[in-house]
Amino acid sequence: MFHFVDQILELDPGHHSLGVKHVTTGDAFVRATGGGGSVLLSCIIGEALGQLGAWNVMAANDFAMRPVAGVVGRVAITGEAKVGDTVLLDTTIDSVTDDAVFYHAAASVDGETVLKLEDTLGPMLPIEQFNDPDELRNRFARIFTPDAPAELPLSGGEAVSPFDASFDEVLSFEPGKEASVVRTLSGDETFLADHFPRKPVLPLSLLLESLLQLGQNLLDDGDTLYVPRGARKVKMNRFVEPGSSLVAKVHVVGRDRENALLRFLCEIDGARVCVGQAEYSAKPGERP
Amino acid sequence: MSKEENLNTDTIYPKVREIIADVLAFDESEIERDGSLVDDYSAESIDFLDLVYQLEREFKIKIPRGMIEEEARRGVSDGEFEEHGRLTDKGLERLREYLSEVPEDRFTPKMPVNLIPTLFTPETFCKIVVRQMEGVEPVASD
Repeated sequence: MFHFVDQILELDPGHHSLGVKHVTTGDAFVRATGGGGSVLLSCIIGEALGQLGAWNVMAANDFAMRPVAGVVGRVAITGEAKVGDTVLLDTTIDSVTDDAVFYHAAASVDGETVLKLEDTLGPMLPIEQFNDPDELRNRFARIFTPDAPAELPLSGGEAVSPFDASFDEVLSFEPGKEASVVRTLSGDETFLADHFPRKPVLPLSLLLESLLQLGQNLLDDGDTLYVPRGARKVKMNRFVEPGSSLVAKVHVVGRDRENALLRFLCEIDGARVCVGQAEYSAKPGERP
Repeated sequence: MSKEENLNTDTIYPKVREIIADVLAFDESEIERDGSLVDDYSAESIDFLDLVYQLEREFKIKIPRGMIEEEARRGVSDGEFEEHGRLTDKGLERLREYLSEVPEDRFTPKMPVNLIPTLFTPETFCKIVVRQMEGVEPVASD
């Protein structure tokens, strides 16, 4: 499953929507924390916010066009959503044109913001290329239940393999400086079934999560732990389809005792696929 | 800035250059006013969407999609402007006149219409911004 809006609570077409995402056991997109618990991958919270925005604009245009990932001006990671938490998703559409939607969004848990998206742009493309519009209409009807009480979190579902954020091959790795790695999309990845049924492509959210984790490993000096604080100017130039080998190059631009900044560039056969910057905060003495 | 007195491409260029550099991930010093956004700075369709949005937001204007080509075509029929997806001589002349800021040698006879965006320069967007801020329709001259 690669649908992350469990319920839409409010929807003002073309303007604003509120929704929820329950973080449940058995979710493929959680990671273990040092304390023995599990939290939802930060980039999946961002994905959920983007999907809420997509539901809004798709409903507004009667499922003729859908947005896909394009540009995220800023992702700010300010907290975590643990298993058992309910994440409130709040997406505001700044403008919609024939070819793009622009929005910003925030996710919170118990009133505390855990992630924000700013200056986000999604190109609008014909929905028929990606999904069966009727299937989306039906799903929308199931989750757009503003008058119903919030659904209880699902738990104990079928066991799913956790998402593997690692890369397949390391071309170079110089700690504290740069890394160059490869990931090939095999086509068997479970998330491709939903993203998208008619055009399986690597979600930007999962690519970004992989890059943030790669950057964290690159910054690891055995002493200070650098944790992802967010990303800036992330841009997806083209789709990553099954069979494609993505080469990701990450290099450390700056680093001090409190912060680190990395730049990344992903290419397929020399063509730019994704660029951006990753930001980290230092947590001296803390180890995973 | 006084809109009436100081609004011209020179006064807005620094901000337009800053936005272009930011969108295309170049240093401002690397941006040439007559550089080709596509050929020199690798701009792609997503970059143009981003650029137009950033300009709209910064200058509080609306830039209709496809505006450049639409205005270049004004006053000539589709058949006069292009033939089998390529510019006619008249189409090329119109485009050269409309995109007067673009160096002459970048216009090639019978160039494919879908390559028109390769001509766009930072100055092209300065002109669009000024035109939209002034709210003045360009004068079509045959």
